Amino acid sequence: MARTRIGLFAVAIMAMVAMVAVACGDDNDDGEGGGGNTLQTVIDRGELLCGVKDSQAGFGIVGADGIFSGFDVEFCKGIAAAVLDDASKVRFVPASAANRFELLSSGQIDVLIRTTTVTAERDAGRAVDFAQTTFYTGQGFAVHADSGFNSTADMEGATICVQSGTTTEQNLDDHFNELGFAYTPLGGEDQDTQEAFVARRCEVWTADQSNLASRISQLENPSQYRVLGQIISKEPLAPGVRDNDSEWKDVVNWVVYGLINAEELGVTGANVGAMASNPPNAAVARLLGVAFQGGEVANLGFDVDPQFVQRALRAVGNYGDIYERTVAEVGIDRACTLNALYTEDKRSCPPGSGGILYAPPYR
Amino acid sequence: MTTMTGGLPPPAPTPLFFRRGFRNLLAQGVYVGVTALVIFYVVQALGGREYGFGFLNQPAAFDVGNQWLINVDGTTNTRFTMYLVGIWATARVVMVTLLLSTVLGVAVGVARLSPNWLLSKMAMLFVEIFRNMPLFVQIVLWYAIVLFGLPQIQNALDLGDTFFLSNRGIAVPWPEPDGGLYGGPEWLTAVWAAAVAAAAVAAWFVRRRRQELERETGQPHYPNRWGIRLFAGGALVSFLALGLPLTIDVPVLSGTDYAEGLTLRPEFTALTLGLTIYTASFIAEIVRASIQALPKGQTEAANAIGLSGYQRLTLVILPQALRQMIPSVTNQYLNASKNSSLAYGVSYADLFFVANIIQNKIGHAVEVFALIIVTYMLMSLAISVVMNFLNSRLTLTRV
Repeated sequence: MARTRIGLFAVAIMAMVAMVAVACGDDNDDGEGGGGNTLQTVIDRGELLCGVKDSQAGFGIVGADGIFSGFDVEFCKGIAAAVLDDASKVRFVPASAANRFELLSSGQIDVLIRTTTVTAERDAGRAVDFAQTTFYTGQGFAVHADSGFNSTADMEGATICVQSGTTTEQNLDDHFNELGFAYTPLGGEDQDTQEAFVARRCEVWTADQSNLASRISQLENPSQYRVLGQIISKEPLAPGVRDNDSEWKDVVNWVVYGLINAEELGVTGANVGAMASNPPNAAVARLLGVAFQGGEVANLGFDVDPQFVQRALRAVGNYGDIYERTVAEVGIDRACTLNALYTEDKRSCPPGSGGILYAPPYR
Repeated sequence: MTTMTGGLPPPAPTPLFFRRGFRNLLAQGVYVGVTALVIFYVVQALGGREYGFGFLNQPAAFDVGNQWLINVDGTTNTRFTMYLVGIWATARVVMVTLLLSTVLGVAVGVARLSPNWLLSKMAMLFVEIFRNMPLFVQIVLWYAIVLFGLPQIQNALDLGDTFFLSNRGIAVPWPEPDGGLYGGPEWLTAVWAAAVAAAAVAAWFVRRRRQELERETGQPHYPNRWGIRLFAGGALVSFLALGLPLTIDVPVLSGTDYAEGLTLRPEFTALTLGLTIYTASFIAEIVRASIQALPKGQTEAANAIGLSGYQRLTLVILPQALRQMIPSVTNQYLNASKNSSLAYGVSYADLFFVANIIQNKIGHAVEVFALIIVTYMLMSLAISVVMNFLNSRLTLTRV
């Protein structure tokens, strides 16, 4: 009997070891804790998981029909089209300011495109690596039209609605500390701060200026509110990927660069077909991954199809096309802002303003 | 016996799977295996990062609202200090909730047993409505009522220039330390507080002495009456002697907010109201059940010796029911204290909210959540210790 027991125990131990071994076996490709190969994961899955905002018109919002739209959403579609050749193969995962980095580091999303500001602290941390900035904005202030506020110099002691856990919160603290003013923050998620501001629970609402403008445009009576011209911070918004995942980051980066380059080269969503079959110059041919004047097709060495930028362009158009369809629709003009191309004619712009959008060359 | 031999074949050996020894071993093996797997996965998932709590000593660079009695800004203070501010916010909500929900719960529980039909049905309705609605829904609902139901500050309801109601908060008068009539320093208030404490201690000793006398002589010595007299007298005399070292601060409207007085902000109000009412509905049921669990003879005996209804309740019924109640009420206290983390839903900057801001800014989710868990555990343990002490006192002293 004793012998049987030992034998059975040995079986149990072996079963246990086998289970652990199985666990070890499939641990390499889930990209936990940095590293990994998200590009291969996305291709194998046949679907891109994209973390976006679900409540900001113009950037990321989900409609009554459950369909996501907005500037950030278009970039998700562009990446899906580039990698999977199908812009519809993307699942949008609503990400909050509070959980966005955890969604990314735990592998629940492949890329985070959710009006996320690049900061040194975030980049240095283990959760996220930032790709090319897609939108430049700055922190602004909205007030009620009948309030006397014209700048933060008038706001001593005010209650200010600000989204918790954001760079906005930190800038606000720095700025008011510099002014030597006391203030009372009222935190919460984006939607909470908007409701509290509308109910006059706070006199001032601060967020990215583009966010304030787009949200106020969707309110019942936009003329009751004013977005102040003052900007107190730099807020470059960029897609985030997991740390140490360079192949994937390269693809995300060059989809963004590609769409900016396309605009500079005059390739739009409307003419990309014609351009691909008859490229006007070598730069356009390289960008679209086609041969120029009977030469070789340039393969720049990305781990995706050489025509990935062309696929993205066919799906969502160039940077300017995306901007016109989304951000411009909520009343944020592009001319003379940082988000215009660097080639913009700045003579018509107020001094000190004008586009800085510049992508490295595609070669 | 011998006639039976050969009738039955020898029993077939039990198949391996049906042997008790094998099954026990299998169960243990699976248990050990699953545990090892879980530990393995946790270690795997947590590995490859750097840990440490050093980030808590960095400057906070954010500010939180809803501070009371303190004024901590995020520029000169560390993240850990801001976390303490969050703990203080949680402590305020929990203390007020436990106090109010006990009072309300006992009142409703007793009312449910009232012979007055209307009163008992109203108590029943209260319990059934608030016990059966999710707490989070209630808190968010109260917040919506306070935020959108109350007028905006420029149209604030003004009750005799003393109380103000608006969606910026409920402003009430509040005592403030003061130098008193003779223009003394503000610490006179602290002197008075010490005098009140001394009076309380003296009153407690006098009460106990009179209780002893009562037991020894069998004559009434009114221990409670004399205790209260001594306490109130001491507090009043020292208050007058020090020249009224306390003023009542009446709130005033100033621009778009209140000044002076005490302002109960909508976030605090909604959270406390929701927690209190929800917890009270459970405590009411505990109170009712504990009273009904008493033998009917107790009520009849109290009636027989001619006690009034109020005396019957306070001298006979509640003291005995209390012993039944305390373990269940302790559970409700623990629930309420942990449910305070629903503050997140109404943006009240409690410890969970502040910890989330910190986590959001720099990551370190594992450390931050470990901190949150330990904090709530310590809070629960503190409540348990107090309640267990009360319980042991009450179960030892037979009424």
